[in-house]
Amino acid sequence: MTRSELARLSLVVLLFVVVQETVMLDLRIGGVHPDVMVLFPILAGVIGGPSRGATIGFATGLVSDLFLPTPFALSALVGCLIGFGVGLATIALDRTAWWLAPVAAFGGSALYEVTYGALGSVLGQPQMLHVALVRVVVVVSVTNALLALPALRLVQWGMAEASTEGMPTSDIGVSASR
Amino acid sequence: MAPARRSRRPRTTLLLLVLAAVTIITLDARGGLHVVTSGLRSVAADAFSPVRSGVNAIVEPIGSFLAGSVHYGAVREQNQKLQAEIDQLKSQDATAADQAESLRQLSALLHLPYLGNLQSVPAQVTNFGTSDFAATIDINVGRSDGVQLSMPVVGLGGLVGLVVAVSHHTATVRLITDGQSAVGARYGPAPGSLAVLNGVGAGKPLSADLVPSNTPLTNGEVFVTSGLQGALFPAGIPVARVVSSHTGDTASQESVSLQPEADLVHLRYVSVILWGPTP
Repeated sequence: MTRSELARLSLVVLLFVVVQETVMLDLRIGGVHPDVMVLFPILAGVIGGPSRGATIGFATGLVSDLFLPTPFALSALVGCLIGFGVGLATIALDRTAWWLAPVAAFGGSALYEVTYGALGSVLGQPQMLHVALVRVVVVVSVTNALLALPALRLVQWGMAEASTEGMPTSDIGVSASR
Repeated sequence: MAPARRSRRPRTTLLLLVLAAVTIITLDARGGLHVVTSGLRSVAADAFSPVRSGVNAIVEPIGSFLAGSVHYGAVREQNQKLQAEIDQLKSQDATAADQAESLRQLSALLHLPYLGNLQSVPAQVTNFGTSDFAATIDINVGRSDGVQLSMPVVGLGGLVGLVVAVSHHTATVRLITDGQSAVGARYGPAPGSLAVLNGVGAGKPLSADLVPSNTPLTNGEVFVTSGLQGALFPAGIPVARVVSSHTGDTASQESVSLQPEADLVHLRYVSVILWGPTP
């Protein structure tokens, strides 16, 4: 990762944090607020593949953890798993398809919230499975699917270029030529 | 044709990241890293406090403007001038009522009967929970106001929670309804029996532990903080009121459901008690 890419990525992360900590915290739907920080590992996985999805998911998760009352590094753990999973699941798909980001955001967000609650519960926070999990999943997934396209533009700008890491070696040439 | 090979690097990266995350979580939970992580959280809260205020100052008028535009569109056939006057009067009326309510709540907070001689700092609630997975609130007082970790927080009616994170100008309070919350309480005629009130999630009633089966509890009976040595809360603060109680056929404990005395859903102002547990 070059310095300029790191700087751009940091700017985009900062923008996401500001939006999350101001607008999104005030926006409550059925008592649940949307979580745009969840979008980051998902979109990083879509754009950069499993390895960069995991790395960026971990880093942005740590940033999220600074503002959350839940165990520190839990978002980082879930972020790297989801970034990796989304990157792996979308390898064989046409990453330029317009529908890919919203669909990945919807499914990835749902998986993120369920994994977050389950891992939190395993790590000594049993109450994390007693929240209105279905409501959290629905609100976060739907809002992230709606925000996926503009967010994708931002993350694409931040990540500068797509990676071929983790892709089948036979596909790398195909991907690079896209 | 040779089968496609996948690079091993993504899996190695994932494994390393998962190990790193689990290590941080474990060290933080065991206390080894807690000073570092709470320090980082405090710095982040301090850094974002002015950003949050600034963005809210920009966003709120825009929201009001948009709401006003929608309202305008619905009544454009009516006399605009008259409507504007009515809106202004209504707005003034609402503002006055809101201010009166704020004043009433703040005055009441300054004279909470159960605080006695305990010093307290009034605070405004700035956020209801930064996570959908924990019942917390953010308040606009912090270390600079004398607030420290583990200080009790009360509202109109009774106990609200405990300070779990504090920065220079803000603090995070874990509500008594949070699943991690446990409050030592006393009930019944003096000197009272002891129980532990556990939170089970935001908006849900509390449950009581250590209440023996067939204990004669009446609905509406109030549990107050026990104030035992080492307890996290001073004695005598109302915590919750019994909503229902029953004993199962083979249960050794009474199953008790309690409603918090403080209205945790509509909190606007709270008081942080400048008090720490006696060792």
